[in-house]
Amino acid sequence: MGSKDRVWEVFRQEAEGDPMIHGGSVNAPDEELATHYAREFYGRRQESERLWIVPRDAITELDDPDLLKPPFDRSFKRPGGFLIKHKLEAARERAGGDGGSSTEEGAE
Amino acid sequence: MTDLDPTTRDALAELLLAMADDEFVLGFWDSEWTGIAPILEEDVAMSSVSQDEIGHARALYELLAEVTGGDADQIAFGRPAEGYRHAALMNHARSDWAFTIARRFLYEHADAVRLESLAASSYQPLADLAVKMRREETYHILHFDLWLKRLAEGGDESHARLAAGIDRLWPDAQTVFAPLAGEACLVAARILPDTLEAMRARWLERIRPRLEAAHLPVPTTPGSPGADGRTQRTDEFAWLHGEFTMVARSEEDATW
Repeated sequence: MGSKDRVWEVFRQEAEGDPMIHGGSVNAPDEELATHYAREFYGRRQESERLWIVPRDAITELDDPDLLKPPFDRSFKRPGGFLIKHKLEAARERAGGDGGSSTEEGAE
Repeated sequence: MTDLDPTTRDALAELLLAMADDEFVLGFWDSEWTGIAPILEEDVAMSSVSQDEIGHARALYELLAEVTGGDADQIAFGRPAEGYRHAALMNHARSDWAFTIARRFLYEHADAVRLESLAASSYQPLADLAVKMRREETYHILHFDLWLKRLAEGGDESHARLAAGIDRLWPDAQTVFAPLAGEACLVAARILPDTLEAMRARWLERIRPRLEAAHLPVPTTPGSPGADGRTQRTDEFAWLHGEFTMVARSEEDATW
C-alpha cells in the first residue's frame, strides 16, 4: 500500500432490510478506488445487497472504560438482571407442589 | 449443433472464436499481475477482472462448441499458437503498469461497443450471453477509466508512460474491429447487427473525449485495420501460449 493511502471501513448488508454489519476494511487513496476495492473484497460473490464505505478518520471512537465499563454491579439494569429461579423454587416448596420446573428454566 | 446453414455457421464460429480468444489471451496476460500489482487491493482487483475475462472466454468457447459440435477445452487449449484469432492488441506482453492500463482502457471500450451491438443479435444464445457479459463489464469500464485518469494526473512520469503505451498500442487496438471473412454474411443475417467498421467509429467517439480529458494524444493514423489484424502472431504470444497450454499438454488425453 502507498503512503498516501487511507483506510476505509466497509459495512455490508446481506439482505434487503437487514442491518449493516461491519465487514472489514480496505486501503485506497481515494473514495472511487475505495468503492472499487470494497466491491472486490465484500461484494463480488453476490454476498452483499449494499455496501457502506466510510473513511476511518470520519468515525468517532469511544472506548473509555470509565464510560463503557462502569465498576459497580448494574446487572439489575439488564433484562436478565433479576434472578428469580431460586425465588420460584422457594415459592413452590412453600406451596407444596412440584410444579413443571422445565417451563421456568429460561426465567432468570 | 444448430439449424444455421453451413456458410452462416462458419461465419458465426469465426466471430465467436475471435471474441473468445480476445478475452482468453487478455485474461492470461493480466493474470500475471497477481502477486505483483502496485497495491494489495489492486492485486485482488486485477486478478478478479482477469478471471472475469477467462470466464467470458469459457462461455464463448462453450457456445462455439455448440455451434460447431466441438469441445470447449480442446478449442481453448488444443490449438497451436498460430491457430489463435485474438486481435493484434493482445499480442503484446503486459510490460509496465501504465502499458497494461493503456491496453485495458482501449480494449474495454472496444469490447463494450461490441457487446452493446451483439445484445441485439438475431442469434439469441449470443444476444443472451452479450447481455450477461455486459453486466460484468460495467465494472471493468469504471475501473480502467479511473486508472487512466489516475495515471494521467499522477505526475510527469506516469503520464509519459501512459501516453507511450497508448501510442504504441494504437495501431493494434484498431484490429479488435478487423474485418472477418464471414462478416457480410453475419450482418445480412443480423447476427452481427452492425459492421465492425461502424463499431470502430463508435469506439473512437467514446475513447476520444476520455483521452482528451486526460491530456493524452489521440493518434489519427492508421485508419481501418486490415484483414490480417487477427492472424499475426508474435514471439511474446508464442511464449504465453507455451505457458497457458503447459498443463493441458502435460497429459494430452487426461481427464481432469
